Amino acid sequence: MVHVYNCHPFSSQQIVQVEQEPGLVCCGGGALFVVATGGCKVEAYSVEKEGCPLICRFATMGTVKSIQHSKIGDYLVTIEEKNSATYLRIYTNWRYQAEEKARVGVRLLGHLLRGASVRGGVQMEIIEIPLSERPVAVACCSVTGDLLVGCENTLVLFTLRRQNQQSLNQSQQILQSTWPNTQQSSSQSQGQTSSSNQNVSILDFERSVILHLPKIKPKRVALCGGYVAVQTELEVLVLKLDESSEPKTAEESSDTNKDHLEDQADFLLLPRHQELLGDRAKDCDIAVTIEKTGLEDRGQYTLSYILFRRFTPDFFQGCSVEETQLHSLQLYPLFTSTQSASLEEPACVFCFFSLPNAGYLYSLKGGVELLSVYQYPEKVLEAVLTDYLLHVITKNALQCFTVRCAAVTARIEDPYIDTTMKACPPCSLEVCALRMQLFIGLRSVCVYGRHVILLSTADTDTPEETERTTQRRGLELKEHTMLTGIFLAVGIDPATTPALESLLSRPFLSRKWTMSSPKETSTAGHGWNLYVVDTVSPLTLYQEMVEYSQRYAESNPQAQSLRHLLSEAHLLLRASLLQTSGQQQHSEGDPAVSLQTDTDTAVQTDSQELEEALRQNCAQLGDCFSRSGQKDCHLALPYYRMSGLPVTEVMARNRPVPSSPHSYGPGFLFYLKHYLFEETEQCLSQEAADEVIDIFSQSEPSQLVSVCASPPMVNVSPARTMQILQHLEDTAGVSVPLTITMATMMLLLDDLPRYTQMMERHAEMLLVYGFIEESRLLLHGGGGGQHAHIRPTALTRQLAKSQPGLLVAAMVALHENNKVQLEQADQIFKELGCENCLQVDFWEAMLMASSQEAVIQELLFRVASVYIDRLANSEPPPTPSRRRSLKSAEDLINSCIHYGALYPWLTVLSPAQTTSSQHQEALHKLQSLLCGPSLSVGSVVPLLERLSEETLWGFSLHLLCSTRRGQYDSSIEKLLDRCPQAIIAYANHQLQDKNMVLWWQKLLPELCNRTRAASDNSILLAALKETLVVVAMETSPTEFLELIPDDGTASYFLPHLLTCSQKHLLA
Amino acid sequence: MTSKSALLKVILLGDGGVGKSSLMNRYVTNKFDSHLFHTIGVEFLNKELEVDGHHVTLQIWDTAGQERFRSLRTPFYRGSDCCLLTFSVDDGQSFHNLSNWKKEFTYYADVKDPDNFPFVVLGNKLDVPERQVSGEDARQWCRENGGHPYFETSAKDATNVASAFEEAVRRILALDDRADHLIHTNTVDLQRKTPPDPSCC
Ligand SMILES: Nc1nc2c(ncn2[C@@H]2O[C@H](COP(=O)(O)OP(=O)(O)OP(=O)(O)O)[C@@H](O)[C@H]2O)c(=O)[nH]1
Ligand SMILES: [Mg+2]
Repeated sequence: MVHVYNCHPFSSQQIVQVEQEPGLVCCGGGALFVVATGGCKVEAYSVEKEGCPLICRFATMGTVKSIQHSKIGDYLVTIEEKNSATYLRIYTNWRYQAEEKARVGVRLLGHLLRGASVRGGVQMEIIEIPLSERPVAVACCSVTGDLLVGCENTLVLFTLRRQNQQSLNQSQQILQSTWPNTQQSSSQSQGQTSSSNQNVSILDFERSVILHLPKIKPKRVALCGGYVAVQTELEVLVLKLDESSEPKTAEESSDTNKDHLEDQADFLLLPRHQELLGDRAKDCDIAVTIEKTGLEDRGQYTLSYILFRRFTPDFFQGCSVEETQLHSLQLYPLFTSTQSASLEEPACVFCFFSLPNAGYLYSLKGGVELLSVYQYPEKVLEAVLTDYLLHVITKNALQCFTVRCAAVTARIEDPYIDTTMKACPPCSLEVCALRMQLFIGLRSVCVYGRHVILLSTADTDTPEETERTTQRRGLELKEHTMLTGIFLAVGIDPATTPALESLLSRPFLSRKWTMSSPKETSTAGHGWNLYVVDTVSPLTLYQEMVEYSQRYAESNPQAQSLRHLLSEAHLLLRASLLQTSGQQQHSEGDPAVSLQTDTDTAVQTDSQELEEALRQNCAQLGDCFSRSGQKDCHLALPYYRMSGLPVTEVMARNRPVPSSPHSYGPGFLFYLKHYLFEETEQCLSQEAADEVIDIFSQSEPSQLVSVCASPPMVNVSPARTMQILQHLEDTAGVSVPLTITMATMMLLLDDLPRYTQMMERHAEMLLVYGFIEESRLLLHGGGGGQHAHIRPTALTRQLAKSQPGLLVAAMVALHENNKVQLEQADQIFKELGCENCLQVDFWEAMLMASSQEAVIQELLFRVASVYIDRLANSEPPPTPSRRRSLKSAEDLINSCIHYGALYPWLTVLSPAQTTSSQHQEALHKLQSLLCGPSLSVGSVVPLLERLSEETLWGFSLHLLCSTRRGQYDSSIEKLLDRCPQAIIAYANHQLQDKNMVLWWQKLLPELCNRTRAASDNSILLAALKETLVVVAMETSPTEFLELIPDDGTASYFLPHLLTCSQKHLLA
Repeated sequence: MTSKSALLKVILLGDGGVGKSSLMNRYVTNKFDSHLFHTIGVEFLNKELEVDGHHVTLQIWDTAGQERFRSLRTPFYRGSDCCLLTFSVDDGQSFHNLSNWKKEFTYYADVKDPDNFPFVVLGNKLDVPERQVSGEDARQWCRENGGHPYFETSAKDATNVASAFEEAVRRILALDDRADHLIHTNTVDLQRKTPPDPSCC
């Protein structure tokens, strides 16, 4: 279905004062170029100035058959005929031909010897491009200024070369100095005038590549950023030419192609309508070979097939061959607003072509895709694609269709489109037709910016018609019946479409249409006219669309048409935002724009206005989707977001009228939920928060718990909410999160008894599950990742006071369920002011519960440092304020694998009575960690430096460390120095297995030496004795003999020797 | 109307310095510059005029006479309707070179029927007292080389300049009449959808 909207795309019309009947017309660079029929003269008019004044006129060298303007380089290219030979010519510096009697320079392609500099002032120059074949069609690349020439069976690509004036002047000087002497003296005076225009660059072209397409006859060609399109009568082929240094030759690709052709030759079955996209386009039967001609060796060109379409006349639909001819081939680039157009490839390239009854628009980049098919109401003669409209002419009307290019570009520009953050109407959105403007005898159309240039000739009309034409010159308006006929022809019955009906009932010449036809008399009397019809600015058209949409909004806000119209309006704004940002960048390249000094500021205010309009439009689209049914209702969220409206404003817009049964739409609820669940820092006022509660209790009561837990809702009135929650419980039954929410309300009401009562309704374990279900009962913020600010709720603060165990358990559970990260938990405990107590309890509990290796290592280190800290600080006066830990050392040793059982020798070293119980706890926990399997001892050694070895408990920790690090020798020595009574307990525990040898290698000699020095030391003697028992058990008699000191008393060692031999004999 | 007027391409050839550019300037802008640059390459100017009741647009092509610029000028001989062979009466060498100029033109212009192609010979700088080429010599050369009309001109004094160009137009038009006559008896070119445009080819 074609939507037709009664919007006025055109604002005004001028008639260009042309003396002779125009034959060909083209435009560019702010100018309109008119070639008189059969004439050899081009007249350039300014389309941007009131009345379209003549800029200049200049003669061509032959009869112009085709003319094009290139924005880049500001040149014209013509195909001309003279004496039945065909020529291809480039006209540069045409703007300097204001004085018609000025000489025009002529040179061949590549012969850049001369130049404007020679004569002084800038001179118009014609570059003739010799071709071996007859040129049929030309196209200029709007990105690079390169030129594509379609000949009978080839396409020739010419790259634009700019020679800057400076370098040319130099070569000119060399030339001058070698001039023959005859008139040397005279040359000076003329050289003087040359200073005027130094920064003019001189254009030239280089023939860079030839594509041979022996099988087709090009009718039209197009070129854009490496894309080459060629159109024959019934086929369109789009190729991509890439310059690459890789030596992948053209032959390769063409060879494979030929093979394929041979395959296909067997069955000549041609589908009636063929569409081959992307790589598949290779399968078309059109072989292309590359011939490189560039003089410079700049690597190879590679060719890829992008798109192929073939049409066949459909005789059964009453079409004749000529009616099925393609026309209006166009490649169209779009740059994103972040791109600098002069440096980069366009982000998007579109291909448009048209049959008389339908137009086709493809997006070529990032996967070829058919964007839109335009079904015309009448046979279309010509079509021109622009940024935001497609203009088509039929014999009697100019009509506009909307385009989807901006939707494609928006998606390339912004990866967040089509998320919950941003939205844009889909590329597949049905196109629509805007109000048409009637003319008589339209021949051709071309577009420059907002100016649509139309050529009409009435010479096919009957004499009476011509007469009537003259009478009604200017705007040719036909009867409504004819319009109705057109609509009926495309299957639209105006009677069923209110918009159409009003379109037909309104006078065509509305207040929006201003005419500035200078001299009526001057235009009368001949059967042709050249019009410049201005389109309204996108913003104006947007506003009209919005105005128009209001009628839908009032009558039926759910209507598809309202949404469609607002989407159309949205894309208009996007297109013109792209355009304005493009203008800023393009302004240097475009001679017409660069003449205006205040363009930039104008563009800036423009884009501010546009952005404001876009926000408005997003709000309206948000409204549209917020009320709509299930499908697409989620789009309310991104559109409201893009609108920048505060949530209260959105709520107000969605507030149902008191009397109506209308309730909140799913889109609105979706938006509101997202708003509430996305941890915004912004708090709602009590009034707004209460309204939110009402909205959900009315529409989605099951969401109430999470709504209440949402951070923006902190100001909600607790008593009121309590009632609603109570009602919910009565109807939906008890649930733990609901109970906790109600408890929170009680807390906010300062009703501690009822709070406690609520909290006691469930076992702690169940409460923990409740917190896992709704973590925001405890934690607010932190949704935006690790660094977002996270804070405790009122409930959390209360729990810290009254149920610390529950809080710790809940935090551990949240951590293990990835609802909170360690750093965030730290932040919470910091805010609760219990960094050194509850937090440590949390860490200890985490060590018991967690299985995440990285977290465990971190926590082990943290608790170890806490213990060391406590031991270091608490020594003289133990802090009385400190609450007991939730877990004792005993608990931890029994239930946590990271805390090991204390080594037996430690009890000998640190008797229980020494210090306070808290000190004792810290010591035992640290010792236990050091005895456990997980703590990396090396990491805590530096921290242990803080504790002196003076005290025995301090010594025990250091000894534990050095032992864990395998420093047995020194440990044995130190222990013998400090506390020899512990040595046997130590040796029994530590010197086992591979360390057994230390009994006799270290301990025995050490004890022997020490007893020798202090023979009355009973502790040492007892230890020696114990050692000998062990050594006798573990060594052979010979070994044992070796170990006995030379000066030892034999009788002392003999019993042990005996045990040793007996044991040996037994073995 | 101008749209009905023919576009006639007339090309000025002759040695460097004989006064080709000066002749064109005199004819089109009625100015004379005694210190003119050598022409580099090719330039042209249009001039509309009426000759014997015919409106024509004369496209006058000025070329560089110096040998060094040959490659720049020769590509543009094609399509000429008339060639003005120019020498300077005070420069014998420039007169002797006329036949070379004629050869160069016929070769590059790819003239189909050189014997009937309209050449006009101009002896310029008539105002200079030290003549090296006599009028008789010049006229003889014209007779012997195909009966070309001969004009003695002075760009400086504007002597004979307009008549020389008008003569060129007359020669072309005379030829065109015959050509028109020929075309009617010829077979019709089927490739052309519209009859050949009388205006400018
Ligand atoms: N006295 C006199 N001087 C002339 C006449 N015509 C040209 N000159 C001078 O002769 C010199 C050369 O004239 P140009 O018109 O530049 O000669 P040209 O044939 O265009 O030379 P190229 O461009 O090198 O081929 C200039 O200094 C002119 O002023 C003339 O009729 N009489
Ligand atoms: Mg000259």
